[in-house]
Amino acid sequence: MLMCKGLAEIASDYIDDELNSRQNLSVKMHLMMCKHCRTFIGNLRASTDLLKAHSSGRDNEEMIRRIDERVAEALKTWTPEGNNTE
Amino acid sequence: MDTSVQPDTESSLIEDLKKGNATAYKHAVREYSPGMLAVARFYQDQSGAEEIVQDCWVTVIGAIHKFEGRSGLKTWLHRIVANRCKNKLRATNREVSTDFSETLDPELASRFKSNGRWSLPPKLIFHESADTLMENEALSDCLDKHLSTLPETQRSALMLYEAHQHKSEDVCNILDVSASNLRVLLHRARQKIFLMVETFQETGEC
Ligand SMILES: [Zn+2]
Repeated sequence: MLMCKGLAEIASDYIDDELNSRQNLSVKMHLMMCKHCRTFIGNLRASTDLLKAHSSGRDNEEMIRRIDERVAEALKTWTPEGNNTE
Repeated sequence: MDTSVQPDTESSLIEDLKKGNATAYKHAVREYSPGMLAVARFYQDQSGAEEIVQDCWVTVIGAIHKFEGRSGLKTWLHRIVANRCKNKLRATNREVSTDFSETLDPELASRFKSNGRWSLPPKLIFHESADTLMENEALSDCLDKHLSTLPETQRSALMLYEAHQHKSEDVCNILDVSASNLRVLLHRARQKIFLMVETFQETGEC
């Protein structure tokens, strides 16, 4: 039988739906009976969402501008190299 | 899930890049640089990472004609960045080492009894939405701090997979890890974030 520790070991695979159907079923059965593990899975999932929210929308306008400048400079000496290799 | 660039839009963008079209480069730089920076950031500090991304764009200008579209453009760009970073690591003799043998974080593992049940169960439920939590600047800073202490490979795996929503297969390619090792990396990193948020919620301390 799947214990709490065993569930914790495969919790990310459960969240990402990477378990086989037998494992998936045993996690679901355990979660029905165990409040602690329900909290754990919920919190681990929340931590994952937190990371997604944390890193999105942190684009750096100044950095983009500096890259634009560098690219524009490099394009001045652009040649259609694809044609040279014919 | 890929970026907002649709496949046919992407292929016409690639055609324009191959022609050296300045507008196409402006668009591509805006679209793809944040993700490229995220890849580089795990090997380098902020200024080093930005320099690498700039260098990579110059490489791209010279190499885009060789791009055959077997992978998506984003994946191709991220691989260029990852390879440049790895070469730089090699040049400075820095090693990226990882232990794939343990799936549980030691701190979390210590919270179970020998019969496999919780001895120190999760204390509270994270109620607030991720967006609400991120408005808490102290928590956001704390997350940054903890991300920076994660082993490089864990951090890279986590960010590429979660934040930049790469498919597992692409993350494995970019980082040179097997699919099962990627699962370990992701799980270990998520546990660390879980432990950090729990401590922060409970004590207000990072
Ligand atoms: Zn349990």
